Amino acid sequence: MIDYLLLIFRVLVFPGFTFIILFTMFCDWVERKIEARMQNRMGPSFTGPNGILQPFADFVKLLTKEEITPCDSKKNVFRLAPILALSVLIFAFAFLPIDGTSAIPGMSFAGDLIFVMALVSIANFLLFLAGWSSSNPYSSIGAARVLTQFLGYDIPLVMLALTPAFLAKSITISAIVSSQWLPFLILAPWAFVLFVITMQAELEKDPFDVPHAESEVVAGHETEYSGAKLAFLKLARDVQIVFGAALITVLFLGGANGPVPFGFLPEFWGTLWFVLKVLGVVIVSEYMTVLFARLRIDQVVRANWRLILPLSVLSLILTISLVYWIYPLV
Amino acid sequence: MPNNSIDIIRILETKLCGKPVQIIPGQLGIVTVKASVEGYRDIFKVLIEADEKTAISAITGIDLGANIGVFYHVRTSNPLLTIQVEVPKENTTLRTISDIAPSAALHELEVTDLLGVTFEGNPSTGHLVLPETWPDGIYPLRKDVNANEVKLNPEPPEEKSDEGKLVKIIIGPQHPALLEPEKFAVFVEGETVRKVEPRIGYVHRGIEKASESRTYIQDVYLVERICGICNSCHATGFVETVEKILKTEVPERGKYLRTIILEVNRLHSHLLTLGHAGLEIGYEVLFQYFWRDREPIMDITEMLTGNRVISSSLTVGGVRRDIKDNDIPKIRAVLGDLRKRIPFYTQVYRDEPSIRARMQNVGILKRDIALKLGVVGPVARGSGVNIDVRKDEPYEAYGEIPFKVITKDAGDTWARMNVRMDEIEESINIIEYALDNLPPGPFRVKVPRAVPSGEAVNRVEAPRGELFYYVKSNGTTMPERVKVRTPTFANIPAFLTTAIGEPLADVPPNFVSLDPCFSCTDR
Amino acid sequence: MTNLAMWARLKSPWVIHFNSGACNGCDIEIVALLTPKYDVERFGIKLEPSPRHADVLLVTGSVTKQCTDRLKRIYDQMPQPKFVVAIGACACSGGIFQGTYGVEGGVDKVLPVNAYIPGCPPRPEAIIDGVVKLLNALAASTKKAPKAASKEEPALNAEIEVTEEVKPDAKQ
Repeated sequence: MIDYLLLIFRVLVFPGFTFIILFTMFCDWVERKIEARMQNRMGPSFTGPNGILQPFADFVKLLTKEEITPCDSKKNVFRLAPILALSVLIFAFAFLPIDGTSAIPGMSFAGDLIFVMALVSIANFLLFLAGWSSSNPYSSIGAARVLTQFLGYDIPLVMLALTPAFLAKSITISAIVSSQWLPFLILAPWAFVLFVITMQAELEKDPFDVPHAESEVVAGHETEYSGAKLAFLKLARDVQIVFGAALITVLFLGGANGPVPFGFLPEFWGTLWFVLKVLGVVIVSEYMTVLFARLRIDQVVRANWRLILPLSVLSLILTISLVYWIYPLV
Repeated sequence: MPNNSIDIIRILETKLCGKPVQIIPGQLGIVTVKASVEGYRDIFKVLIEADEKTAISAITGIDLGANIGVFYHVRTSNPLLTIQVEVPKENTTLRTISDIAPSAALHELEVTDLLGVTFEGNPSTGHLVLPETWPDGIYPLRKDVNANEVKLNPEPPEEKSDEGKLVKIIIGPQHPALLEPEKFAVFVEGETVRKVEPRIGYVHRGIEKASESRTYIQDVYLVERICGICNSCHATGFVETVEKILKTEVPERGKYLRTIILEVNRLHSHLLTLGHAGLEIGYEVLFQYFWRDREPIMDITEMLTGNRVISSSLTVGGVRRDIKDNDIPKIRAVLGDLRKRIPFYTQVYRDEPSIRARMQNVGILKRDIALKLGVVGPVARGSGVNIDVRKDEPYEAYGEIPFKVITKDAGDTWARMNVRMDEIEESINIIEYALDNLPPGPFRVKVPRAVPSGEAVNRVEAPRGELFYYVKSNGTTMPERVKVRTPTFANIPAFLTTAIGEPLADVPPNFVSLDPCFSCTDR
Repeated sequence: MTNLAMWARLKSPWVIHFNSGACNGCDIEIVALLTPKYDVERFGIKLEPSPRHADVLLVTGSVTKQCTDRLKRIYDQMPQPKFVVAIGACACSGGIFQGTYGVEGGVDKVLPVNAYIPGCPPRPEAIIDGVVKLLNALAASTKKAPKAASKEEPALNAEIEVTEEVKPDAKQ
């Protein structure tokens, strides 16, 4: 009985649904403040102390707005895509060991790294469908750009995600985390840098911001959405960003590993280290976003096939040779 | 190539002797040639042969009672000259000259729209500035039409055009990239632009007609609000033209103060554009930084004129208020700060890889096309065409102040933005020189309220290019006709040409490098 | 729940800006609101690109005859609850262009306006003041906003005829 209650608590509150949503909103606030400060402004300041409740206010406000469905759209896809995208991403979080073990005991299985990467692709595909099903030329172009970008960058992403797998000799995420007595960032820094850049492209942030190019396609795939569906679409995007950062943390930065003072409450300290590491990645990623202008879609595609992909292949070869020939000697 | 005025008159006299023309030197520019309906095209051929910089500056249509006058104001390496043709109202047809001078196409369409003169051979159709619901056959600028009483047609249905595999994307009238409403139908194939169809006229308020029912002083305020960004230039263009008719000489101090206000206007406009370009390429930080540095310029404007944006400080005969002595060090301090920021911004625009990736080799406008289409301002100077009204036909105090005209040769978006970047430094130099050498004395002379009969043309260099004014007075306190030709109007054909064949994503930066101001275009 | 909804609406007003035939003076003052000196993001105000995302429509310009239909369409595309702010003398009453043949003469001839901000152009401080006053007035009013209902409408920029007439809703 207690087990079931604990299970429900773990799924719904911590480290499940509620924790993820609140953490996402917090990261959104952090991003907005960083962007504002780098632009010499203040950012949200009056909604809650220092504006920390701003993402929450945005979400609630969108929930109270009227929802308009274009009569020419494919209605079922239009209505379901945002919620499905959000659900898939939150589900993917279940496999990440946030406080040392995975969210739902027994969830983690051998090979769940590949499964999680597949979930990321499915979520991106659902975002594409969101744009495709609104009968609007801007949405179609935005959706096509989303598709082009994530399909292209998925390949180097998976290849680079295999680097920690090789270093840990396992493709189970919890095994990867527990074998990081030294974060893989130090053992394979080239893969880390490339992974961060590829993740930036996967998450559609500057300089790979093309699907959200306001000046060309208005709001891209989000153009026709309003009300609660828009709230979930925007939340899905924010969760996607946090998930990307969490993936980087888990694969390269040691996940929830960290010193446990006084030896007790390992879950609390594990969560704390995890949260701090994810925040660090979010900050660095936002810093990069603000610093760069937006590339054109053809430049993004060319960067992928001519630069990132060959480099990730080389990185994989380098990692494999290091793991099998050099490190055993050390 | 002749480059002083005597030669152009002699060339015209030589090549046109025997033709039914009347050459009047010194009127409406350097010379006015009154031509017949049949023979006016030959004059253009002569001019284009003689000077490569020949382009139509403006075409004024004016209701002369029984006839409609069509005045072609032509810009060459010399000051302006005018070619006048009159068509009777019963038969308002003229052959177009857009085949020999492509810069004329859009101007002719405007005369067709507002005055009803048909130009045979001009390929464009439909309304240019008047709304879609305007009934055909009623021409607002004709004297017998009371334009306020016109009953509009119901809204025509959206036309469905079948372009085959081309996807039609409509940019505007409400679009994040555009501050103003204009509609561009961009036909793309994949991501490449194949055709651009503009529809302007969303900001047409009927200012030229309205100026005929307001006094000259009221018109200064009206004309300023053609465009909030280059408002001082509009005011300058108008008051200078009226002063030419009145044959009034503005005192020296007034001229220097006007120059300072004009250059401050140019500074704020260029900073605006350079920041806006950042927004278009997704570089918000650049936009925020430029506009942050623009705020002290707005403070200077407020110090000089009392208003942040629309200065309202020029009047016929001078400026309305003097500069305070204890404001001058504050102005110098702001300019000094801006001057220190210039190396940083110049370096950003020159070296930043994302800017170069988005702006270099985008929207290339070659020099010969720029000359043929008659583009003006930084768009022309970015393609290597050295035209600047401040040097070609100095007005106000520009004749006495040394400054450089900045040109670049590449002709792409990057070159155009760099021209504006460098012009900021020149403007600061001009203002500081003017402040150093500000002559004492009166800054304004009183002028009579009723202006004697006459007409005059005038050009000023607005931040976007050459701004043209024609004013005709009839002895009353209200003008007979005011014609404005704004720089963006002359530059739109250049955008249409440079956008074709480029990716869709290049349309916003290309568009912004043109520095469009549609409230100027539509009036 | 209503209090929470009202609080969220006041703290997160997303705006969309439409120039219905203005001289650009008011528009550059509105864009200046986003810049470091005035920074309205502090209030949660974001400039949104799509009318479907926005709550407040900022209109500048004296509504030229060509723009009338477009302005109405943009207002219709916005989901409820929505508000209109007329910025500048031209939007309030036509301004200096009152009586010319090209303009309707003021936004309230076309749409229900919730706030008027006069000026030519109004300073950015005046615009912020006006928007804050509008938000405070909304907070003070006890009217409930109309229930958020699902509605079907043609998509933005769709190449189809508008078959049903969508009327602009009553004043808030």
